[in-house]
Amino acid sequence: MSDDELRGEEAVLTDYLGHFRRTFERKCEGLDAEQLARRSVPPSTMSLLGLARHLAAVEYSWWRRVMEHDLDLPKMWGKDEHPDADFDGAIADDAVVAEAWVTWRAEVAYAEEFQASHPMDHLGQHDDGPIEMREVVVHLIEEYARHCGHADLLRECVDGRTGQ
Amino acid sequence: VTEPVDEPLMGTGSELGALRRWLVELRATVERKADGLSAEQLAARSVPPSDLSVLGLVRHLAQMEHYWFVLTLSRADEPRLYVDDGDWDAQFRDAVADEAVVVEAFATWRAVRARADAVMDHLEPADLEFVWDPDDRRGSVRGALIQVVYEYARHCGHLDLLREAIDGATGE
Repeated sequence: MSDDELRGEEAVLTDYLGHFRRTFERKCEGLDAEQLARRSVPPSTMSLLGLARHLAAVEYSWWRRVMEHDLDLPKMWGKDEHPDADFDGAIADDAVVAEAWVTWRAEVAYAEEFQASHPMDHLGQHDDGPIEMREVVVHLIEEYARHCGHADLLRECVDGRTGQ
Repeated sequence: VTEPVDEPLMGTGSELGALRRWLVELRATVERKADGLSAEQLAARSVPPSDLSVLGLVRHLAQMEHYWFVLTLSRADEPRLYVDDGDWDAQFRDAVADEAVVVEAFATWRAVRARADAVMDHLEPADLEFVWDPDDRRGSVRGALIQVVYEYARHCGHLDLLREAIDGATGE
């Protein structure tokens, strides 16, 4: 809890979203490609690398497709043809790891710029109809938090590390 | 079993409405993740070395909602649920495979949710700016609601993997 919470809806929601983006990044720190790609909580097919690729696709879809009214834009990682491509393509390869982080950071930067230059009631176009930017930000906080929950257990099962 | 929403949510297109809709969905997610499990399965530490269990998380979520809505926003003079003498781990450690413990946990969680809903029913959008000062820590109603939503969401992530490890069930 901090004085930041007294600055109104936009600042508070933006801070929380930034907090969870950083939390996810920290959950993945200090691991090699094999550890990042390990499906460490069987039978789940999730891995930390799969989550990084998934979250890049989530950011891309909400900001470049929904908020930019461009639903015809192809989904990331070829997910139109192969919906689980973000998780299935998360293999223990340094180049795949590097690509995932470059892609995720680029999508986060795009999102931050878009959000900073639009009001919270700016309307995007979702499959189900119009959606306000504030709904997208709350949704992303919820989605990042849930995936941080996955990352908590994946990381603990990789090397025992907990926290954050 | 998913509990019905017994009254319409606050208007769409508002911050309060958005936060409350997510809370309703996340509570229903927890119900689904726990649905159909025996006391033994509910209490299973199914993703070792983690000591989390579905039952421990239900107790923790009841404790968390009670803390924010009842103790903090309503300033009720009650002890904190499941945390006697600051024994934080008790909410998870004492989540044992016993029918009576299971029944108590779900009854407590549902009762806390009803009290939380009553608090939210009386909130107006302007209340989100309201600032309280418990324990000399400044905070806002907005911050409390967001915190409840993200606590639920993160624990739903734990529940996803705990449940899949118990019986393979996945899904929202």
